[in-house]
Formats: sequence, structure tokens, C-alpha cells
Amino acid sequence: MAQSAAFTSEMIRSELEEIVGQAYISTTETDKLIYSTDWAWMPQMWLDRGERLATPDYILHPGTKEEISAIVKLANRFRLPVVPWGGGSGTQGGALSIYGGILIDTKRLDKIIEINEKALTVTAQAGINGSQLEWALNEKGLSLMHYPASANCATLGGYLAPRGSGTISTKYGKAEDLVMRFEVVLPNGDIIRTPHVPNHASGPDYMRLFLGSEGVFGIFTEVTMQVDYQPEARLLRAVLFESVANAVEAGRRIMTRRLDPMVIRMYDPGSTASQVKQFLGYELEGAYMVIGWDGDPDIAALQEQKGMEICTELGARDLGREPGEHWWEHRYDFYYPPKSLKLPWMYGTTETVTTYDRLETLYYAKKKAIEETYKDHNAKYIGHFSHWFHWGASLYDRFIVEEPPENAQEALRLHNRIWNTAITTSLEHGGMVNEHHGVGLKLGRYMPRQYGEAWPFLQTLKKAIDPNGIMNPGKVGFGF
Amino acid sequence: MTSAEVKFFENVIETTENCRYCLMCRHTCPVGLGTHNETLTPHGWGLTIASVKRGLLTWNDETVDALYSCADCGNCRAHCVFDQPLPDAIAAARAEVAAQNLAPAVVYEFDEMFKQWGNPYQPQAPEPASHQGDVALFVGDESLYLWPSALEAALKLLKAIGIEPVLVGSGRSNGYLASSLGLPETARSLAQAVIEDVKASGASQLLVLSPGDAFAFNRLYVERLGMAWPDDVIVQEVTVLLAEKLEAGELTITPLDDETPYVYMDPTHTVRVPERVEAPRNLLSALYQRPGIEVFWRKDRAHPAGNTALQFTQPDLSNQLTMGRLYDALSVGARRVICEDPGTLSALKPGAERVKLDLVGLYELLADHV
Repeated sequence: MAQSAAFTSEMIRSELEEIVGQAYISTTETDKLIYSTDWAWMPQMWLDRGERLATPDYILHPGTKEEISAIVKLANRFRLPVVPWGGGSGTQGGALSIYGGILIDTKRLDKIIEINEKALTVTAQAGINGSQLEWALNEKGLSLMHYPASANCATLGGYLAPRGSGTISTKYGKAEDLVMRFEVVLPNGDIIRTPHVPNHASGPDYMRLFLGSEGVFGIFTEVTMQVDYQPEARLLRAVLFESVANAVEAGRRIMTRRLDPMVIRMYDPGSTASQVKQFLGYELEGAYMVIGWDGDPDIAALQEQKGMEICTELGARDLGREPGEHWWEHRYDFYYPPKSLKLPWMYGTTETVTTYDRLETLYYAKKKAIEETYKDHNAKYIGHFSHWFHWGASLYDRFIVEEPPENAQEALRLHNRIWNTAITTSLEHGGMVNEHHGVGLKLGRYMPRQYGEAWPFLQTLKKAIDPNGIMNPGKVGFGF
Repeated sequence: MTSAEVKFFENVIETTENCRYCLMCRHTCPVGLGTHNETLTPHGWGLTIASVKRGLLTWNDETVDALYSCADCGNCRAHCVFDQPLPDAIAAARAEVAAQNLAPAVVYEFDEMFKQWGNPYQPQAPEPASHQGDVALFVGDESLYLWPSALEAALKLLKAIGIEPVLVGSGRSNGYLASSLGLPETARSLAQAVIEDVKASGASQLLVLSPGDAFAFNRLYVERLGMAWPDDVIVQEVTVLLAEKLEAGELTITPLDDETPYVYMDPTHTVRVPERVEAPRNLLSALYQRPGIEVFWRKDRAHPAGNTALQFTQPDLSNQLTMGRLYDALSVGARRVICEDPGTLSALKPGAERVKLDLVGLYELLADHV
């Protein structure tokens, strides 16, 4: 039996080799192990405890969309799972090869095709590194204005796959709002392009189907994004509120009065006491809020003045410009070890989004649920409110258990139980399963509850688009 | 093991644990960007080492090949907010592998060369300092054996500002390559010899021809090899000194009437000495009366050419890095590439000829115009 499997495996390998070339296929044990984990806590912990993960059988580095198409067609023929891989920075296990199969690393598709300085767009292959793309735009005085903490490792396709957000999404939108058009390899191997503009009345907007699909509906190969001129001014400052309630209300008023801030980042008192102190060096009690405007200096200054009037009305203490600028300069430090959350701790970012009428209630409900339910594990709950809309905001909240079980299975069970409490509480209080990290493997089980009667509709779509179920099986709630 | 060595090993183990799941320097790693392979990134190397420690992988041809694919260029550390010394951790892992006789055969061949001749290029013993003086110039092995015209030109430039240095370390490696190959004891011997040579010269200022030498003496010796550089000897790059003299009006450069589009190519290891990036550009601006074109991978994000340990262990990868630098220059419309580092120049030369780029030594170019 084993010999038979090895024979089949070699036959398939030879076919794959014909598609991508010998140099771009790997079946080494080292590569398999490295590609067996993404940035999710679960697989990282699993390896940390000396346990093995499911691995891809073949790791491919195709150089063209045609090669990707051929790989997908082969996968259909042999009924092999296909897992797209960008930067591996997903936190939900969306890039795990849980059923083995073919892992397609898209990073060889890393060319910038056109920077259009008239239309203010950039067209690039989907595997380009985010920071590299941003640097290239900066050379021309432009910016993507999508600044996720993962930019140094994530790819352009990876920005779209989970509908990611960046630091200044409050003004410029999420990645999904910046996309103009894209090219995608469908699960049957066909290659399609969406229309060259996203806003029109020429039939249904099927482009949206692929945004947030995390590879279950296809693989991005080329993307056109909107870009902006780099702003003439960036005005940042920090304020301190005594309560989360007043801070949330300040954010709501600023947004609903359309004062157009690029960022509102409000840390709850727990985060203020821990994260703000540790990374920025400020010892403060209350809710620390960084707020910023950019663009034309005169307009930004006026917007800032109006915004500060609102904060003052609600009792905020103006901490001045320096703490805001200091935060801006160090906003990604939170993600660098050794100070970032890291093993052997247990942690999870259970971020969500809801409307303003539910936001504060949602925050306190999750805090109470996690801290009380997992009191025996001394679970801590912290959060910040980071991506604001006209109608609501995201709650970027986290649980932390500093002394989790040593045993990998026990640790994983506890981790999933805490997640269950967090997501269930989110759903009960009007929150979404997720705001910008995506669903992946970890949150797939909540999709029927999230979508209710619409979930079978989504399953029908999946079946129609990917009848063999080969594309990233087990993710986003879809099976294999 | 000394307490300094114990601390060093504790530090590198902690670094590996930190870096294995960190992806924050991915955008700068030239090997990762060039190979597109997760295994050949700082995260990949960290996780490989951590997985061996946990028994999930063993050191074998496959894992050792991956371990010896890091360029040890310093880009990851230069872009780490918390200055994690991953290159040192990788060098320590290589030392462990080499001690178990599992390193690539070429490592042991070069170890013999280093031990016998003090360099990996020529079977010729290093020359001791001939006399004493306040200012010494470290010649090293690359300028002697790979790009000798740089030394002659640098001496002419120094003479123009009234300096006639004692030559030290002539034909001797600075120890970086040996340390990068996983040969710390050999590297320490080389470093010790350099230090003794410098002390014997009586100099209080040691001039060097490249940022690689500046990095070795100012940081590598103490951080990776646990060796103290003499407190009373200041290390300075010739380029930086010349730029200072130019600014002070003590060096006059005759403008060059030449419209050739040029780039200044930051030498390998520039990211480890970022404060030096404007000095060569200022010298060239004075010469050409205009700034050069800038390549994409420049200054604090400059990629290395292939003149790292990769030239011995992974020649194809080394060549890929070198050609990457040249294509970067071509892509911005350059016809001439200028650099002062003998090692970088030597690595760039064959490729530059292939793609018809005019490769020029900075010292040689300046020496003709002072």
C-alpha cells in the first residue's frame, strides 16, 4: 500500500514538475515543515510543543497564471487539495494544508505591471510583498494607503483574501475598498478578469465574491489597486479619556460628523496600562486614544480642531502631539518579538465589528465572558478600537493566558474553548465573527450561525464554483 | 565556556525562538525575496533551528543546505525593531553543524585555507605591519587578491589629504567569512591576529576600505566572537574620512565632464553601517556635479552582492544576489556602476561585463580627479 502511494505520488510529482519546472517544486521534509504553519497560534503552539502538523505533499512556486491554471486542472483530475499561500501571515490557519495536497506559493508573481499616475492606480502581480509594493509607490510620491501590520510579509493577494484592514483604513478604506479589479484563477482552472472599474451598474458585482474568500473560490494572480498621493501633512495627537464610553462616543461623533480622520486608535484601560506602557513608555490610567488627520495641511488642521472640540466636550485630556507621533512611529513595534505576544503564552485576537449602538455593550460582554469564564486560567482581556466607520467600529480584542497547559492537546482545547466563548458572545451581541483577519480554519465552524439561512446559499455557490471541493478545503466553513 | 560565551549562546537561542514565528523582516531579506521560499527566510531559518532543537528535524544534507543559504548580510537585524541578532544565531547553528562534521565540505576546505594562509583566496602568508604610525590602513585579503587597484588609489587619495598610513593586515581575512561559515575558533584566531597587527602598528586610527571591515571591527568581533576591539583605536572608513575632508575644504575634487548615467552601489554590509551611506554619494556628487541615480535596494535597505559566505557554499544563490544588484541598476537606466568595496566590486565584475554595465572603483575614479 505504501509503495503504491509512493508510486502515485511520484507520478503526480512528475506531472507537476512538467508544469512549473524542477526548480520550482519541493517535497523536502524541511520545506514541508516550514510550510506546515502560518501565523496562527494553534499550529505554532503545536510545533512549539514538539508535535507534527499535517503538511502539504507538494510545494509549488509557479511563475505564471498559466502555470497556476494548469496546476489547478491537474488537482481536479487527481482530486487533490490546493492551498494558496501568500506571505503566510494569516492568523486564522487559512493557509494550513490540513488535507495535504498541493500548496501554491504565489510569491514568484511579484512584478509591478503598471503604476498609472494619471488614474492613480497600481497593477501588480498578486504575490508581491506589501512593503516592497509600498516602497515602489513611494518612489513616485504615491502610497497604497493600506498599512496593515503584516505588510512586511503579506502579499497583495493576501491583502484581499481575508478582506484586510490597515492602520489608516478609517479614511482610506479596507483593502477591499481600494481594489479596482483583479484576475483570478478559478477552481476549474479558468482565468478571469473583473471589469476595469469596480463601481458601475452593469450587472451584479461578482468581484465581491472573491474578496474574503480566502482561496476557496480561486487564486488571485493580478490586482489593480487605487493609490493616493502621499499626504502633505499628517497631524497626530493623543488624548486620554476617563472611560471607554466617552472615548467611543467621541469616535462616533467624529465619524458621524464626517470629519474624516485617517486613524482613531483607542486603547481600553487594560491595553493602556499594559501595551501603551510597554511599547510607548506612557504610564496612564484610562482610555488612551491616538487620533490623526492627513492630506491638505489647512483642511487637516481644521478637521483636527473640530475633532478635538468633540474630545474636549467629552472630558478628554489633550496629551499633545508628541504621544500621537510617537505612536505613529512605533505603531508596528507591538508585533515584533520579544515584546509581542509570543509562545509559550496562549493568546488570540478575537476581533469583531458592530454598529455604534452595540459597540460598548459588546466590549463589556466579551470582557466579562472571558475573564469570568476562564478565571481559573487567569485569562486577561484587552482591546482597542481601531477601524472606524460611519456606522460603527471594530473591536480589536485579545485574550491572554500566560500559563497555558504544557500538553499540546490540552492547550489547543482550552484555546478553542476561549475562542468559542469570545465568538459566541460577539454573535450574541451583534458582532461579526471577524472584521479583518478572516475566518480560515479556526472560525469556520461559526459560519452557519453567522449567516443563518444564507449559509446554504453560500454552500451552493461553493459547490457550483468548485464542484470537486479542491480549493483550500476545510476553510471558511466549507468542507472537503 | 567563558561567561561571555554562555551569555552569547543563551542570547542566540532566545533569538532563534523569537525569530521563528516573526515575519517582520521578510520584506528586506534578499535570499527570501530572491528564492520566494519560506524556508530561506529569517522565519524559516529560525524555525528550522528551533525544530531541530525539538526533534522535529535533524541536521542532514537538506537542513544544512537551508542553513547555509542565509547570506549573513544583516538586513534582517537592521530592520528589526528590537535588534534581534539572528545572523549571529545562524552562525552559531552553523558552528554546531560544522563541529559535528555535517557542514558542506567546502567549509572545511576553507577552514584549512584560513588556518594556513589567513585568507581563502591565495596560498600566501599575510604580511605584518612594516613600521609604526598614528594612522593605519587595513588592507585585508579582498583588496590584495580580488581588487588590488582600490588600495593603490586609496593610498593616493589619503596622500592628497596628508595621510600616509601604515599598512596592516595585508593578505589577512578580517574573520567575518570564517565566522559566517560556522568556524568561530578560526574567526577568533584571524581576529586576534588582526588586533595584534593593529596594536603592533601603534596606530590610534585604523582606516578601512569597506563597510564590511568597519562592521567586522566595530561589531562582529565583540558581538559574535566575544573579542574586545582595542579601546584606543578608532575605526573609520576611508570614504567617510574623504567626505569629511571634502566638506571641510581640505580635499579638492576636479569635476568630471561625463554625462554617463551612474549609480552608486552600496557595498555588501552597508545596512550594518547605515551612518555611512551619504559619504560616497557626496564624493560622487562633487565629482560629477550631480547626484547619481538611485537603485531600489539602496542605503538602509541595500541588498548584498554575492560576496558573502554564499560564494563558497551556495554559488548559484551568490550569483543570483549579484545579478540582482546589477539588474536593479539597469532597471533605473544606469550605464555605470560605482562602488569602492573590493569584495563587492570583484563579485559584480563578471556580471557587469555580461550585461554591459561599466563597473568602476570609487577610489580609482576619485584618485584620478584630486
